[in-house]
Amino acid sequence: MGSMIAARDSSSRRKNYTQIILYGILICFLLFIPLFFQSPYVLHLFILTLVYIIAAASMRFIMTSGQIPLAHAAFLGLGAYVSAVLSKHVGLSPWLSLFIAAFVAMGVGIFISFPFARLKAFYYAMVSLFFGVGLLQAIESLGKLTGGLAGITAIPTLFNTASKVPYYYCFLALTLVSLVILYRFEVSRIGWNLKAIDQSYLVSSSVGISEVKYRVLAVAIGCFFVGLAGGMYANYNVTLSPSSFDSSVTLWMIIYVTIGGMNNFSGPIIGTAVLFLIPQYFSGLKQYAPFISAAILFLVIFMFRNGLVCIPGLLMAFYKRKKSTSKSR
Amino acid sequence: MILEINGLTKNFGGLTAVSGIDIKVNDGEVLGLIGPNGAGKSTFFNLITGVIPPTKGKIIFKGKDITGKRPHEIAELGIGRTFQLNPLFPNFTVLQNVISSFQIRPRSNWLDTFFNTPVYRKNEAYILEQSLEILNLVGLYKVKDELAKNQPHGYQKMLGVARALAIKPSLLLLDEPIAGMNPDEIDNTIEAIKRTSQRGVTIILVEHNMKILEICNRVVVINFGQKIVEGSPQEIKENPEVIRAYLGSGHDTKH
Repeated sequence: MGSMIAARDSSSRRKNYTQIILYGILICFLLFIPLFFQSPYVLHLFILTLVYIIAAASMRFIMTSGQIPLAHAAFLGLGAYVSAVLSKHVGLSPWLSLFIAAFVAMGVGIFISFPFARLKAFYYAMVSLFFGVGLLQAIESLGKLTGGLAGITAIPTLFNTASKVPYYYCFLALTLVSLVILYRFEVSRIGWNLKAIDQSYLVSSSVGISEVKYRVLAVAIGCFFVGLAGGMYANYNVTLSPSSFDSSVTLWMIIYVTIGGMNNFSGPIIGTAVLFLIPQYFSGLKQYAPFISAAILFLVIFMFRNGLVCIPGLLMAFYKRKKSTSKSR
Repeated sequence: MILEINGLTKNFGGLTAVSGIDIKVNDGEVLGLIGPNGAGKSTFFNLITGVIPPTKGKIIFKGKDITGKRPHEIAELGIGRTFQLNPLFPNFTVLQNVISSFQIRPRSNWLDTFFNTPVYRKNEAYILEQSLEILNLVGLYKVKDELAKNQPHGYQKMLGVARALAIKPSLLLLDEPIAGMNPDEIDNTIEAIKRTSQRGVTIILVEHNMKILEICNRVVVINFGQKIVEGSPQEIKENPEVIRAYLGSGHDTKH
């Protein structure tokens, strides 16, 4: 909401320039990653991180409306399996099936959220939980199409090469586009209306915000992007199995979002980068990797309750306070 | 006549909260609605604004039947309201509370909103200007950038009125606007209500405090979900039935 941002503070303009420069540096760094890290395994991790960043960011988008999507991993799986089945059995181009998967996930999201959008936001959590379990059961039992418990293999890939570099750049572009779209929604009146519904649906409906419309919209947009992420994953990874999409994956996504910072758009991005990438990167210490995650979790819960994103702000405040006290002496 | 209510009834299971109320509200008047606790006043407001659907009866607003419409549709038609327990958007600033209440006039479509087009920016600039004006009107301009949840009770109540004004209502329902306020805040609120009324907004208010009834053109008394009397504030104050409803029937026999 333009006027809201203008109203927030007067120093926002200077902050904007530093922000643009920081984002520029970050994007340059991301563009050069394949040059820095030649190992295909490291590149593989970066590619998966991009997929999970889309998933976590879309999850947070739904969460801004007060709904907790407990089937988000199942929607990731839905996107992945739809894209896999369409490209393998129907013979569609993976580029097409990817986007069909996103639209299917969006449609299913609307279908399950619409009947419950009039009730309290909590009901979406329950419904999506049941739906997630049911969806995985369906995938497991549709053996002919999905390969059942053993999983589906030999999914057509997006690029005809063994190199991971084109995937990295393609997924980076898709991730950036998805994040820009989600960000535009977030800072526009639509995003503010979602936050308003979260804070009080009684008040928001009394000023003319249709809570049904906006709740369903939040789920539709969130599910679209997680479906897209699923399709990307399927047509990159070549094989899929139901266990990659069970509810523990949803829990991990919730952890990425909350540890990164629920109240900030960059929260899920930082959370995923830190909690997904770092333990994997140190996977030489295989059995200790969960301990590293746990250490980060505890650190955040006890010290930075607004998530990892608030650390720079806290450091700035600390630095300023130190400067002012040394000056007063 | 702006609002006409015919035989409005609401049953909660076996309990009849509102039973067969008929009320006519004239254009531009201030109508007071009083009654003891549990008389059904807040239920009455919730029925008009569609928060709960009525069991029976009709609500006609500006000649249009609005019975059974959803709250946001009723807001769109121009019925604004405040709440007794005064919920708000606690994590928004006071100004953001008002800005996010501008949903209807003007309303940008989704494409304009998403792409931040000149149309959207013009609407938002207009909304900002209008919001500041409303905050001036209710006397909250000085705290506009503070979080709503950190405001004292009286300010939160006034913020509720500001929010209701943001939908540019032609009918405003105020649920106990001065309950729990100190005398200064009461004077300010009454002043703000008078100014709002002078702008041509029809107001229905629920209140216990007799002070506010003085600005009403007409007062309706309800008890046990039924309308018992209707008249000018002076008539109501002297009506034995009203005294009985408030103080109990023992009051008469002791004299």
